[in-house]
Amino acid sequence: MKLKKVLAVTLAAVMTMSMAACGDSTGETSGTNDGVADNSAAAGTEAADAGAADDGAADDGAAEGSLSYADITLGEDYTDLTATITLFNHRTDMDSADYGGKNWESYLADFNAVYPNITVEITTDTNYADDALTHLQSGDYETIMMIPAVDKADLSNYFVSYGDLDTMKEQINYATTWEYGGEVYGVPSTATTQGIVYNKKVFEAAGITELPKTPEEFLAALQAIKDNTDAIPLYTNYAAGWTMGAWDAYIGNNATGDVTYMNQKFAHTKDPFQDYGDGTHAYAVYKILYDAVAQGLIEDDYSTTDWEGCKGMINNGEIGCMVLGSWAYPQMEAGGPNAADIGYMPFPITVNGEQYASAGADYSYGINVNASADEQAAAMVFVKWMTEESGFSYNEDGLPVAKSSTETKLAFEGVTFLEDEPSVAGEEDLLNELNSESELNINAGGNDKIQKIIEHASNGDMTFDEIMAEWNQAWSDAQEVCGVEVTE
Amino acid sequence: MAATVSKTKNEKKPFHFMKWAKSRKGQQVLICIAFMVIPLLLLFTFTYLPFGEMVKFSFYKMKYSTPVDKRVFVGLKNYIDVFQRDDCFGALKLSLYYMVGAIIQLVLALYLATILSFKVKGGNFFKGLMFFPYLISGIAIGFIFKFFYTRGFVFDTILQWCGFELENLPYWLKDQSINNWSLVATSVWRYFGQNMVLFIGAIMSVDADLYEAAELDGANKFQQFKHIILPSIRTIVTLNVILSITGSLSAFEQPFVITDGANGTGTYFVIMNDIAHTSQKVGLACAMAVVLLLIIFACTILQKLFFKYVFRDAESDDESYKAKKARLAAEKAARRSTKKGVA
Repeated sequence: MKLKKVLAVTLAAVMTMSMAACGDSTGETSGTNDGVADNSAAAGTEAADAGAADDGAADDGAAEGSLSYADITLGEDYTDLTATITLFNHRTDMDSADYGGKNWESYLADFNAVYPNITVEITTDTNYADDALTHLQSGDYETIMMIPAVDKADLSNYFVSYGDLDTMKEQINYATTWEYGGEVYGVPSTATTQGIVYNKKVFEAAGITELPKTPEEFLAALQAIKDNTDAIPLYTNYAAGWTMGAWDAYIGNNATGDVTYMNQKFAHTKDPFQDYGDGTHAYAVYKILYDAVAQGLIEDDYSTTDWEGCKGMINNGEIGCMVLGSWAYPQMEAGGPNAADIGYMPFPITVNGEQYASAGADYSYGINVNASADEQAAAMVFVKWMTEESGFSYNEDGLPVAKSSTETKLAFEGVTFLEDEPSVAGEEDLLNELNSESELNINAGGNDKIQKIIEHASNGDMTFDEIMAEWNQAWSDAQEVCGVEVTE
Repeated sequence: MAATVSKTKNEKKPFHFMKWAKSRKGQQVLICIAFMVIPLLLLFTFTYLPFGEMVKFSFYKMKYSTPVDKRVFVGLKNYIDVFQRDDCFGALKLSLYYMVGAIIQLVLALYLATILSFKVKGGNFFKGLMFFPYLISGIAIGFIFKFFYTRGFVFDTILQWCGFELENLPYWLKDQSINNWSLVATSVWRYFGQNMVLFIGAIMSVDADLYEAAELDGANKFQQFKHIILPSIRTIVTLNVILSITGSLSAFEQPFVITDGANGTGTYFVIMNDIAHTSQKVGLACAMAVVLLLIIFACTILQKLFFKYVFRDAESDDESYKAKKARLAAEKAARRSTKKGVA
């Protein structure tokens, strides 16, 4: 009896294995066949755009007649094109009719006034960053996506090139954001800068006449708010998690004034979290948070902060300031009746007497490389329209994306805007690799490490220097594993 | 699969396969196979195939987006990492909180189930009331308790009505010495109703004559519980304990929604989710999943053995422990003699 059972189980196992093997190999071959078919079809109809996208080395000569962002004249080209395209993005708030600004529906209405035959179907998602990756991985994804955190080397597997870097640089700002092998795969939806959103009235009531420019001045200002008003000086938004990850955005341009720091030097720096002694670099950024918590300048119970609630609180003067990107500025203005009280100031770090702010692209539009030629053309028209005609960037309090525009609502007096230089050729994925290996995930969802700063500061079980030493160690280990050349 | 079928075909051919297939016995076998293929196929494709892939991933260093040919085979490195890292195994210590919670939950459920399975005024009302939390989605419960535990909100207000001073109350989610208990309490609140309903169902099936007989013999309620109810529902008790313990090893919803796994509440699953999705160490996360599976296997087997020991008195409803021991001894002896005979 037992022998029979064993036999049956073995047989079942053998059957599974053989089936798994079959399934695997057929899946792979059919996959490649599809790819080939797609390529030839696309090359046959429109141009060799799919081919060009696959092969980063394709030069200008071969691109003759292919789809190119720069060559599209809005309102003239493709006006009779009929296509249905889909757009997957993170702006759930813009889906709603109650949205304070201009919502998706009105953008689409404006777009269809020029291009009546292009139907755009928009899907939004609150958990966009993760879900977008899942969509990409499945192979069946929307025509236009906000490019999630993919490796740059994989860009051409997923997205169509808008044109080569030199051409695109004349068309848009931040063209290097999603550039790989000289081709540009993403056009930013808007551009943001990094600073601190604050309530002007609270600052006034606390007797702060001049905006703080250094960490010391900032902490003194927080202390003044605590002493002179009832407001919470600095609201951490600890519980939401991702709002903590926002602190990483300040360690590049804001804290060093060096446009090559974040994408080129950082990965090679030995102990980047060390104390440089002059109130700059990552150390100074995170120390502000640690000190603010240790000195009791944050909310009483950080573990139950409420992201949606904080918008109304800062609007009503219950919060002094919050460290968030400029994208949050319009949301805080819309959080209550006192939009005029909300201000946006630069991050309080001064490098050699100068204040810097990094300007960078928000999510970028990427166009599905597997879509049909018509859909790709329609998608590119839509992206160009969104960038140049829609006023999206201005409406969302961003910095201009289209090269032709300078309109923006943000103004930092005496602050120099810097744009991160791209990484050196061949090192595009280095930072991703180090982030993954060290698990610090700088600017890549590493929320828990910042939450831990607050926990340690509050519980007093680890000094700030100990935390930074731990991070330096993790970073050094990762550098060793990835074989990175380290400079002192 | 085709290969195995044809093989059997070849072997059977000398025995006239077609003839056999048309015979009654052959038809029986063929129909059995035909009916089995569909569920087995579904089981393979949706359970064992993905599981096999996961086990395969656990030997690689890879991200989700890494193309198949660029994944690096690293052998057992991921497994070694799981055992060497503080955060992976440290997270399992948090499961102890949930296990304690699970025991409290089961005792509470068993107690209430016993009471409610007798005639109680408003019994059905109470059953419904206590089962209700289980019907709410875990995410919603997370949000409810996030506000419940917020400083000065629901829980603190209630305690203040009872005469506590706000200054003397701890921060339920901020204080690392109690925040795990807060989360465990949420979990107990949610699941004890479900356990209770299962227990009530089992207790209902106990023959009412037994209570009467026991009462005539002078047994009190506790003795009735210990000697009649508990042995009769041991299967359900075992099942619930196994489910609760495995559940506490894989606690996820409460810490993920209420605290986002921060502040020392990151359970094994939360850490695993973080490693897989934030740090994109898919191989390591898969290895963690496999290790957890093995731990759950081990726990289940240990519990089985434990319950076998605890309930040995009641292994059979009809024969007494002594009688059974005698029977087993006899069987053993018989087996030994046949073995000798074979030798």
